[in-house]
Amino acid sequence: MTAKANAKANAKPADAPPTLKFLARLISYSPGRYLLAALGWMVFHLWPLMPGLLGKALFDVLEGRAALGFTVWTVVAIVVAAGLARSAAILGATVAWAGWYLRARGLVQRNMLSRIFRRPGADAASGSVGETVSTVRDDSDAIAMMGGWGFDMLSALIFAGGGLIILLSVDVQVTLVVMVPLALVLALAQLARAKAYRIREQSRAATAQVTGTIGEIVVAVRGIKAAHKEKQVVARLREHNAIRKRAMIRDKVQSLALDSVFNSTASLGAGLTLLVAAGQMRTGEFTIGDFVLFSTYLMQVSDYTGFMGYLVRTYQQSGVAFSRAVSLLRGAPPMSLVDHNKLYLRGDPPPVAPPAPLDEEFRSLEVRSLSHVFPGSTHGVRDVSLTIRAGTVTVVTGEVGSGKTTLLRAVLGLYERQDGEIRWNGNAVESPGEFLIPPRVAYTPQNPALLSGTIRENILLGLPDDGRLERAVHTAVLEPDLERFDHGLATEIGVRGVRLSGGQIQRTAAARMFAREPALLVMDDLSSALDVETERELWRRIFATSVTCLAVSHRPAVLEQADQVLLMKNGRIEASGTFTELLAASADMRSRYGRRQG
Amino acid sequence: MKSASPTTPWRLLRVYLGPQRGSVLAMALLLIASIALEIAEPLIVARFIESIQLGAAERVLITIALVFLGVAALRQITRVVAAYASERVSWTATNAVREDLSAHVLDLDLTFHESRSPGELIERIDGDVNQVAEFFSSLIVQLVGNALLVLGILIALTVVDWRIGLTFTVINVLGFILLSKVTAKATAKWEDDREQSAQLFGYVSESIRATEDLRSSAATDYAMSRFHRRLRSWLPVKVRAEAWSSTIWIVMSLVFTASTAFAFGYGGFFYQNGMISLANTYLVVAYATMLNTPIEVLREQVQGLQQARAAIRRISEMFGYSSKLVDGEETLPAGSLSVEFDDVAFEYVSADDTGEVERKKVLDDLSFRLEPGATLGLVGRTGAGKSTIAHLLFRMYDPVRGRVLLDGIDARSLSLSSLRSQTGFVTQDVHVFSATLRENLTFFDPDVPDERLVEILDALELRPWLDSLPDGLSSRISPTAMSSGQAQLLNLARVFLKDPGLVILDEPSSKLDLTTEAMVERALDRLLAGRTVIVIAHRLGTIRRTDQVLVLDRGKVVEQGSTADLLANPESRLAELHRVGEVPA
Repeated sequence: MTAKANAKANAKPADAPPTLKFLARLISYSPGRYLLAALGWMVFHLWPLMPGLLGKALFDVLEGRAALGFTVWTVVAIVVAAGLARSAAILGATVAWAGWYLRARGLVQRNMLSRIFRRPGADAASGSVGETVSTVRDDSDAIAMMGGWGFDMLSALIFAGGGLIILLSVDVQVTLVVMVPLALVLALAQLARAKAYRIREQSRAATAQVTGTIGEIVVAVRGIKAAHKEKQVVARLREHNAIRKRAMIRDKVQSLALDSVFNSTASLGAGLTLLVAAGQMRTGEFTIGDFVLFSTYLMQVSDYTGFMGYLVRTYQQSGVAFSRAVSLLRGAPPMSLVDHNKLYLRGDPPPVAPPAPLDEEFRSLEVRSLSHVFPGSTHGVRDVSLTIRAGTVTVVTGEVGSGKTTLLRAVLGLYERQDGEIRWNGNAVESPGEFLIPPRVAYTPQNPALLSGTIRENILLGLPDDGRLERAVHTAVLEPDLERFDHGLATEIGVRGVRLSGGQIQRTAAARMFAREPALLVMDDLSSALDVETERELWRRIFATSVTCLAVSHRPAVLEQADQVLLMKNGRIEASGTFTELLAASADMRSRYGRRQG
Repeated sequence: MKSASPTTPWRLLRVYLGPQRGSVLAMALLLIASIALEIAEPLIVARFIESIQLGAAERVLITIALVFLGVAALRQITRVVAAYASERVSWTATNAVREDLSAHVLDLDLTFHESRSPGELIERIDGDVNQVAEFFSSLIVQLVGNALLVLGILIALTVVDWRIGLTFTVINVLGFILLSKVTAKATAKWEDDREQSAQLFGYVSESIRATEDLRSSAATDYAMSRFHRRLRSWLPVKVRAEAWSSTIWIVMSLVFTASTAFAFGYGGFFYQNGMISLANTYLVVAYATMLNTPIEVLREQVQGLQQARAAIRRISEMFGYSSKLVDGEETLPAGSLSVEFDDVAFEYVSADDTGEVERKKVLDDLSFRLEPGATLGLVGRTGAGKSTIAHLLFRMYDPVRGRVLLDGIDARSLSLSSLRSQTGFVTQDVHVFSATLRENLTFFDPDVPDERLVEILDALELRPWLDSLPDGLSSRISPTAMSSGQAQLLNLARVFLKDPGLVILDEPSSKLDLTTEAMVERALDRLLAGRTVIVIAHRLGTIRRTDQVLVLDRGKVVEQGSTADLLANPESRLAELHRVGEVPA
């Protein structure tokens, strides 16, 4: 069991509770199914003890050593009954296990997902989205699979113990003489397998090299053809191929040789039994039935070794999975991963709550000395202050990388809080990420993310359609696009549906924002993917709603309409005022927009 | 390149296995030997039992036991050697397939490549060929090996008693058929399961990516509720898939039960009636047990065989595509070249899944002439047809109508080798190979002398960079470690290495940093002098350097003329494009 102990020490962070505690909590989510599955699989795993005993029974009958009344047909009847029982156990255990597994995995995923949606800083998901997705997908699987590990391990131990006791009860000497060398051979082979790692790595690297070369060839086809170097490039592939061939053959032959050591345990053991028991078999102390029992059990030794290896590996992997899952929680208690929450597998999930009305009318949003600097860099925004009054339009402008997007996201609490203060109607906002959301504020990011589904679903995101959909679509100037789609608002977008253009994505996201009918609209460069006409119309409609706006934009037409323009530079507000005032006051502004103004 | 492309699966096998006939034969013999040894093992034990019953001396028994051990060891050794032989055959053959397929794909014209993603091609050249490798190395050994083993055991059982042989043949044939049926059903159910799981995880991944959107829309409850619905629709599908796959185990368990019951019943009954010896009873029981593993393995392998066959078919199909370009024979002179497009039209023809042919016109009625040494700017939005012009000049494909003339010669009658060594294409996206700098410059051509490389790097003001590299030209560079500016300069070096008479330059639309920008500008001034140049221009600064401009829109020329005239005329399309911001300064 030292391997297990090591795995535990290596894989677990200090603050995570023990794997078994997680497991117990997970099992208790659907204990009935788990018990049924455990019972069934134990029958399945322990069944291989039967054929050996039955084989021995047959030869004992034939040699006249069996108990009275025990005939060939009794043995056959037991074989048939046991076979049918096993089949039933397999079916029952599988169905119960599938039910338990999906619930356990679903629960872990549900808890992870709900945490991701709530943890501080929505940027938490950016950068490492791939990692987060793979934790939710794969680590939840590893964690749920651990449920099966419990009864597998138990059966494996019972099987080994039971088998050994049966063999010892037949003949202690033969058992020891056969099993000790076998165990030694297996241990050595296992050791060699661990050492084989290096050769495995070489072949893996050589394979990666070939795959990489082929990848480069197909990606750089134009370049290679234009340079007319097809032959030279293929020659390079040939070189890598040759290296891989050598490495692969070494690797494969080595692992086959090791496998054959494991596979040979059955024959080796049978041969040893014959050798050791030859004398006793002559005198009848060791019967043919005994030999059948021994040889049948020996056939299972290599399977068993493989199974044990699998169990140890599973345990190690699950430790890693747990610690990854816990770090995804970002500070929430680790056990919340397995909190018992409803999964709504029988009925509908509860309807989404209707939008809450605004608790008090919006008067102003004040931002004081807000800073957000990205960890490990000097980029970000520093000491930014601004005030937005109800009914006004504020436009942020400035060159690429000046901090416009960072400013919006910091105000909205989409980063973890650093420095500064935000006041809504004069009251300090403690957690802007949870407070500055609809019905107070809604936001359209520069690169909005939509979900696969219909356009209607994407705009409403669970809101009731009480006329708001139509209004939102209108304000977002989405009608002309919808007319062109065969199914209008019911058009499926995303992986299986229509692929929207950048501008259509932005305006769908804008419609999503309008549909929430918030007191304050926040828009990050809505126009970056729109043509001039559409954009002009969009802004005309936004201004017509006389709602409060905070927007990033470069278009002079928008700047002209703004009540205040903020010019950002190097993470600070360099100047603010109306467009005309800024043109007069700021050389930067003049150089950006001056010429057009004449 | 093999001249006769193996376009059918059968020819594919013949072409690539033919040269290794000897190894294939050795492999087969070793395999048969190992199976014969495996079948022999229970016979030796039966002999042992017989000897006991005849009251043989202990020495005789020990000798038999030692023979048994020897046979067992020999069987394992034969197996390993057979596996080695099959690995060698497999890798030799599939490496050749990979190389030939890569060469073939590189040879195909651009219409082929533009209708396929790199991922798809990698899947063909790497994925499918790997499947075939698997087929040669383990599949054949296992499939043929196990089939022979089953056959051998059934024959051995028939020799003991024909009734037993017949019964076991029936059990195994029935078992195999049942197993295949159940597997097919289970596979279909697993497809459904994978589909559901893909949908759930597709949704999970999308909603994690959209966390910011969902939070700022106060829609996280909605997102959770969609998760619950997806999970709910997965549950029954999952349970069904698991249940069906458990029937595979159940069938195997039943086959095992039937074999054991018949072996015990026949063996016991025949022995008790004096029809067979105790040793033969043992043989029946031992062989019955041995039969269990192979049919499961056979089932897996038959499935693997189907996959390998599909892979082989796809590979042959790939070999079946041929380049539409016919190589010409004429050659181009050194020095700058004249370029002429004479009423050129080009369209993509693509067939969708339903077989419906779709034609997409990319260029139409295009005519222009460029004198040797002159500079032409191509201006227009994405999709206007600018890159197509470049690709036609390079004969990445041929026009559907009209002629492309270089130095007065139709591109179709030029040899590809002469055409491509006399023309240079500075593409926007540069592919940096993870290889040495030298290999990156020469595209792995070992015949280019180092002096030439250093000379060109000098001209590009890259000498200081070269000197800063640890191993000079032999330093490994990687795509991630290079700035886009360095990559651009590398690209220029590659093109000017061949001293082309015509250069096509696709100006990078993203901005470089100022220092690099200036370096690129200076390098271009020097390198472009005295050559015919076509620039796909995105910026006004670049357009100002050209003599003529062609403004394109949706495959047609909408304006053509001298750059100076067009820029001076505020009514021109070029001036308008600049005003609305399509052509930034």
